[in-house]
Amino acid sequence: MQRPNTKSTIAMLAPATGLIAVFVLVPMLMTIWLSFQDWSTQTGFETAKFVGVQNFIDLFAANSVGRDFKAALVNTAIYTVLSVVLILPLSVAFGLLVHQKIAPGGIVLRTVLFSTYMVPMIAVALVFSKLYSPTEGPINQILGWVGIPPQKWLSSPQTALVSVVLLNVWQQVGYFTVLVVAGLTQIPDSLHEAARIDGANAGQRFWSITLPMLGNTLLFSAVIAIINAVQVFEPVALITQGGPVNATNVLTYHIRRVGIERAQGGLGSAMAVTLMLSLIVAIGVLFAFARRSREDRK
Amino acid sequence: MHLMRAFAGAAGIAALLMSSTALVQAADVSFLTHWAPDTVAKLEAAAATYSQSHPDTKITVRAVPFGDLLTTLRSSGGGAGGATIAGIYDAWLPDLVKDGLVTPVPDAIATDTKANWPGGVIGAASIGGTLYGIPNEIDVYALNYNKKLFAAAGITEAPKTWDEFFAAAEKLTDKSKGQQGFGMINSWAAGVLHPFASLLVSNGGDLVVDGKPVLDSKQATETFELYEKLIKSGYSDPAMATADANTTGPFLDSFVSGKTGMIIMANWWESALKAGMGDAFADVATAPIPVGPSGDKARSISYSWMTVVNSKASVEEQAAAWDFLNWLNGPESGPNGASAMGDILVSMGILPSRTSDGAAFAEKLSSDPFLKGYTETLADAKGFPVVLGGQEFSESLQKTLESIQFGQISAADAQATAQSDATEILARNAK
Repeated sequence: MQRPNTKSTIAMLAPATGLIAVFVLVPMLMTIWLSFQDWSTQTGFETAKFVGVQNFIDLFAANSVGRDFKAALVNTAIYTVLSVVLILPLSVAFGLLVHQKIAPGGIVLRTVLFSTYMVPMIAVALVFSKLYSPTEGPINQILGWVGIPPQKWLSSPQTALVSVVLLNVWQQVGYFTVLVVAGLTQIPDSLHEAARIDGANAGQRFWSITLPMLGNTLLFSAVIAIINAVQVFEPVALITQGGPVNATNVLTYHIRRVGIERAQGGLGSAMAVTLMLSLIVAIGVLFAFARRSREDRK
Repeated sequence: MHLMRAFAGAAGIAALLMSSTALVQAADVSFLTHWAPDTVAKLEAAAATYSQSHPDTKITVRAVPFGDLLTTLRSSGGGAGGATIAGIYDAWLPDLVKDGLVTPVPDAIATDTKANWPGGVIGAASIGGTLYGIPNEIDVYALNYNKKLFAAAGITEAPKTWDEFFAAAEKLTDKSKGQQGFGMINSWAAGVLHPFASLLVSNGGDLVVDGKPVLDSKQATETFELYEKLIKSGYSDPAMATADANTTGPFLDSFVSGKTGMIIMANWWESALKAGMGDAFADVATAPIPVGPSGDKARSISYSWMTVVNSKASVEEQAAAWDFLNWLNGPESGPNGASAMGDILVSMGILPSRTSDGAAFAEKLSSDPFLKGYTETLADAKGFPVVLGGQEFSESLQKTLESIQFGQISAADAQATAQSDATEILARNAK
């Protein structure tokens, strides 16, 4: 009696799982396989030569290959941490402003915030590269009005990466605000009513009700923000090309340089695999942290 | 019988038509370039002229920014569906040949090309004695300076030696006006490397000799130290140095707005300067690269561009592509014995490398004071090294030079790092 059901289940699942296998699993497995090969991206797979873990050893060697990779890995980590640390609190703050019913203008604010997310990155890059100009940029002119000396922004290795992070935060915060607003609508008003009757002030209600009830939304937001940040490519390719002194050379841009421009497919694949493993570890740590926080509250 | 004869006749005519159609197979030729839209329009016009006498060949032009050209070539250009023709920088040729992406020039065209271009340019388009592309432009570096700023600083003539160059940079620097003496470049590999290499060869040094880096020479030590001195003294400000190959960013902004006294740049920069400066372009003058303490005469570096044909294209497409390129670079396609390619290049302020083009445009090139400064330095220019792993070598040296610019390492450390990295990179890529 079970056979026909099994067959029909397989038949129904086959198209979707087949597509996933072809378009997701096969490229992933190919990348892993290539990471153990010496291979030029301009030649067929038949030219790949097995080199064991040599590509991974090279990534952490003391030569220029290793130094550039480690610097790109650190840049990506800094970019990701700064992005998440800035985006999540800002999205909660903006979400509360949009969701509140005391003052008018919430919908207008939500529209304005979300509109930045819809602007194409090429337009953002063009505008920000001029805004950040150290000599003629409007941002430095505005800072000058309040007595702050001109900043070097993208023109200094000390500030270039942070400048790209700020650009990313400006563009993405609207999207995460919408997620937070969706989370806020799921919190029953009765909880706030009960707390208010018990004498809790706004701050206590935020820390004891709003924030814990937003836990799943913030976890989802953090995961998406991390994935987006790790995959950052466009602002680097469009504005800084990884400079100055490789200060904004993040891993995706570096993989493009090594794997495509220099055609070092094996080395580029090893970098991609390392990036994927780092991302899995980061997301795993985040989920473990969230689970532990939830258990601590019980 | 008449009906049968009519059928037979019609069938014969149809067979004849079909066979002649098969003999003249149509070829779609695509041309990948990094040129700006107005130059692409000129190339399209030349292609349209060619197509009038070759209706079976359809030529389309595709342009991408310079920064994306190599990536486009690498990611799609090498496949059967990629561009049939591509304009490439000579430093990329060894890697493209190694990966089998480009096809040798057919014998007849190669013989003609070798007879009509200077040997150095032919050498840069050849690997192991085999010619892989038809050269077109040649670029050389020179000192550009702002005559107005020179006059205001009391400098009467362009610096001829490094001592004069450093003294001029000092006089031109005025921090209260946000003015720097000499403008360096960062964030763009060729933009960082070529001015450094120009100073190095003008000091009697080289980047690479016989495929091996020679950045540990005394001449290189002096060049690294010159960079360090310019930065430490504040005569060159790295915050004004960001640039890219599309000629945007603070480097260009600073020079066109009269905030930079001197730069070292190539001749193709002319159109960007004219667009940015308007009438103030008349304030720009060109001079040879100042001679260093170990140099014997003013030298510079040069590099060339060429058009190559995709080895994965069909036989018909390759044949059509070479025929078109032979015509485009030949003496009958342009005005007054010049090639159409030469005409396009000169319109951009770029020096054509074909010998007869140099003669055809001699008057025009000598009457342009900006370009004259470049043509005069061409004879003593050294070709930028064309080696396997050239792109990786360039990016590595770029990073080291930028580290000096931002005071992250000393000249001595930069030199040691540059030499050891270059040795490892060139040895690995040569395998």
